[in-house]
Amino acid sequence: MKKKITTLILGLSFLFIPGFASGQDLLIKNGTILTVTKGTIPQGDILIIKGVIKQIGENIEAPKGVKIIDATGKYVIPGIIDSHTHIAITASNESSEAITPEVRIRDVLNAEAPAIYTALTGGVTMVHTMHGSGNPIGGQNIVLKMKWGHPSEEMIVHEAYRTLKFALGENVKQSNFFTTTSRYPQSRMGVNAIIRREFLKAKNYMEKRDRYLKAKKSKKSSKNLIPPRKDLRMEALADVLRGKMVARCHTYRADETLEFINLSKELGFKIACFEHASEAFKITKELVSEGIGISVFLDNWAYKIEAYEGIAYSAAYCTKKGVLVSINSDSSERIRRLFNDAAKAMKYGGLSEEEALKLITINPAIQLGVEKIAGSLEVGKHGDIAIFNEHPMSAYTRCDMTIIEGEIYFDRAQYLKEREEMEKKKKAEKDKKKKGGER
Amino acid sequence: MRFKKHLSFICFFIALLLLASSLLARVDPAYALVNCKIIPVSSPVIVKGVIIIRDGLIEFVGPAEKIAIPEDAEVIEAEGLVAYPGLIDAHTNLFIELPKEEPQRRRGVGMAPQEKESGRYPDVMALKLLKPKKSTMESFHKIGVTTVLAAPGKGIFAGQSVLLNLNGEKPEAMVVRNPVALHINFSTARGVYPATVMGTMAFLRQSFMDVNYYHSYKSFLAKKPKGIKRPEYNPLLEALFPFVLEKKPIIFTCRNQEDIKRALRLIDEFELNGLLGGVNEAWRVAENLKKAKIPLLVSLHFKPPYTSIYVNQGEEMKEKSEKEIYPANTAKLQKSGIKFAVTSYGLMKADSFLKNIQKAIKAGLSKEEALKALTIHPARILGVSNIMGSLEAGKIANVILTSGEIFEEKTRVEKVFVDGILFKIKKPPKKAKAAALNITGKWKGTVSGSMGELDMTIELEQVENEVTGTISSSFGKWEISDGFLSGNDLTFTISAEIMGQSMEMEFSGKAEKDLIEGTITFEGGSAEIRATRIPEERSQRREP
Repeated sequence: MKKKITTLILGLSFLFIPGFASGQDLLIKNGTILTVTKGTIPQGDILIIKGVIKQIGENIEAPKGVKIIDATGKYVIPGIIDSHTHIAITASNESSEAITPEVRIRDVLNAEAPAIYTALTGGVTMVHTMHGSGNPIGGQNIVLKMKWGHPSEEMIVHEAYRTLKFALGENVKQSNFFTTTSRYPQSRMGVNAIIRREFLKAKNYMEKRDRYLKAKKSKKSSKNLIPPRKDLRMEALADVLRGKMVARCHTYRADETLEFINLSKELGFKIACFEHASEAFKITKELVSEGIGISVFLDNWAYKIEAYEGIAYSAAYCTKKGVLVSINSDSSERIRRLFNDAAKAMKYGGLSEEEALKLITINPAIQLGVEKIAGSLEVGKHGDIAIFNEHPMSAYTRCDMTIIEGEIYFDRAQYLKEREEMEKKKKAEKDKKKKGGER
Repeated sequence: MRFKKHLSFICFFIALLLLASSLLARVDPAYALVNCKIIPVSSPVIVKGVIIIRDGLIEFVGPAEKIAIPEDAEVIEAEGLVAYPGLIDAHTNLFIELPKEEPQRRRGVGMAPQEKESGRYPDVMALKLLKPKKSTMESFHKIGVTTVLAAPGKGIFAGQSVLLNLNGEKPEAMVVRNPVALHINFSTARGVYPATVMGTMAFLRQSFMDVNYYHSYKSFLAKKPKGIKRPEYNPLLEALFPFVLEKKPIIFTCRNQEDIKRALRLIDEFELNGLLGGVNEAWRVAENLKKAKIPLLVSLHFKPPYTSIYVNQGEEMKEKSEKEIYPANTAKLQKSGIKFAVTSYGLMKADSFLKNIQKAIKAGLSKEEALKALTIHPARILGVSNIMGSLEAGKIANVILTSGEIFEEKTRVEKVFVDGILFKIKKPPKKAKAAALNITGKWKGTVSGSMGELDMTIELEQVENEVTGTISSSFGKWEISDGFLSGNDLTFTISAEIMGQSMEMEFSGKAEKDLIEGTITFEGGSAEIRATRIPEERSQRREP
């Protein structure tokens, strides 16, 4: 049954794939606008021109030819951002080896993954698609907009940080594998050691390159000078050390999280965010002083030994302590109800509506380095918007419309209409077949 | 005793092979094809004309009044027939047999990264792996194909392809161009690096970078041999020199639209002379392809890749995509003004190639373009349009005579000339009766002839009238093809291999419920065969 419904949803969604031109004009009228960063406008309009928010306020006149959406009685919020997913790709772990920073999500995008549409139905407009947690150093991630129906290259958000996936603990030491494996590392100390070893190699590599460049500049030693070999694996790590790429690290236990922070200080690289971080509430002081965010499940824990210490209060608690917190889905299903997960931070820990909403909008935007273009409703940012029928932090809410750069990618009313039509058509065909069979 | 029995068999077969090779060395006469309609492809149609073939080349093509038929030419009356250039299948993995590999094991403790290599055979030459089977060749003749690009199909650097004229079974005589291109697949290996496509991409990039590095190191060393440590010899990188540095063609096989984009990125990043093969989703990225101006070898394999949106919308859509959407690929490419060759890549049989050409035409590809995509376009793409791809004096005499307009349902290929050698096409069995029984299963058989007896196990599979299978004996496993069961009358071809030489044998006989009896004939002799069915329960029983 479930499969049938998915099939139906996909079948329908394909019918209204929008045109291929991005960056459109749109006026959203009379909605309750939750800007996230600049307060709430009880009844206001948003004008998007060529995909960018031009004006937010009351009684905005529609320029000629601009499409108008009536949002009376509805809630208009910035498009939801998921800081940690594995959707829209055909591979995630290059698990043949432990250290694979040279591989890139960019090379395995799949713009036709059904999860993109699922994300849109939950108001999600942007995701951080990452490598899995199979390797201590997994590879280079990517930030995508959920432009369903567009070619993969048009989904990429070039403004975002370049991020490199790291992972610690059970997944990389493969302790939950049912078959015995022999890949190094097999323990937490090994994980730390192999990451340090690779970074030291990268430092060596960089020094060799610097020496060569220096020698090339000086006139004397021009003879016998061969440029050192360019190594993509080392180049990726060098970019992390050069500050051109930031680390995103999958971790559970507080002790090894701290060890990774120490490693970053020792080697001099920037950690943007810890993933899952179910014991983050134990080390908020360190996270705040290092400016490291966390991307967590709200109330999902104890699914393995290292996740036993998780608590539902963590997101709210860490937020109050000053940590930059985002709620992630890590799933192609949970992604459609991130707003429910965020709302739970009001029950568990008592965040305000606005604080809870930040967990899935501006906070992940900051973690991904896209706060200048997304994460809140402000003039000059991209017109990435979700419209809800009730307050998004209400238990009764649902997403009615999802807009990216002024273009409507999900429209619940239209979707339902077409679903009905398709069901009718299918029924008619079935009846026709039946009749034909009787003859 | 047993050895003796076999010895006599072996002697007999050797004698046969000698006979066969003496037949191959025969000199082909000149031919004059008269009174046929001629479609030269590169020039206007000749309603009634003459083609003179001599020494493997086309000597003359034109209207009858412009030429006197040479006295020494064997005249072939072709009234009512149509002459076309032999078709070119510009991408197939058939005709090649890859060596068997040891199953790969997972990495051991403490092994350094990238120590184990997988999928890296840039120096593998298709020519050395050729196993031209007569039955496969005949099946291609039957649909009018005279030339194929035989490519090794496995690994990331799969190896280098060879262009073959299907003129017999001697690889050396078949070669038109060798090597033609390096073939690259976005494939992965299990448990060893790279195990994912993203790893494959990183590996390809690193390899191309290393070629440049290794080459500049070597040329530096050549200039100043003193005072510089020599680099370790790297056969893999050496094999890539012609393709990365001299820009010899590389064919990227693309299974889906993202593969196409991956290939285009690599071609762009490393300034490669790239061609794209496979590409059964090409229409979906037509804009990118139009911009890139990269030659396409479009496979007529219509199965959508698993990443396709069409396979995620239920069985109905999946079926529709295979029957309607993917067959329209070439039609849509034609509409976008993109030139391409069509190939049988991914199809296991020549028959299905013809069927799929017809499906592509039904889906909107024009017949003219279909013909060009099998003649002059592949000839141009592969750089051999000066010697094949159209009917012109001076070009190789790859000519086919058909009973009517090519690719039509009822049209049959009647005669095929490859390098001027005439191949007659076997007629299909007339008035086939429905098969009286199903002979699918295992059979235990004995061949008895003047030279002794030989035991064998026969495995057959029957679908309606058609029968395929294998025969296993102490000589090895042989393929059964072209099998046909009409009523109780059974015929099939055995592609035998004896001491490294291949030969064909024809079986003809009767099939009953538990008994198959008949005669095997081969050039210069025959033998009786009798086989009884091995009961299913027994053959399926397992050791405890």
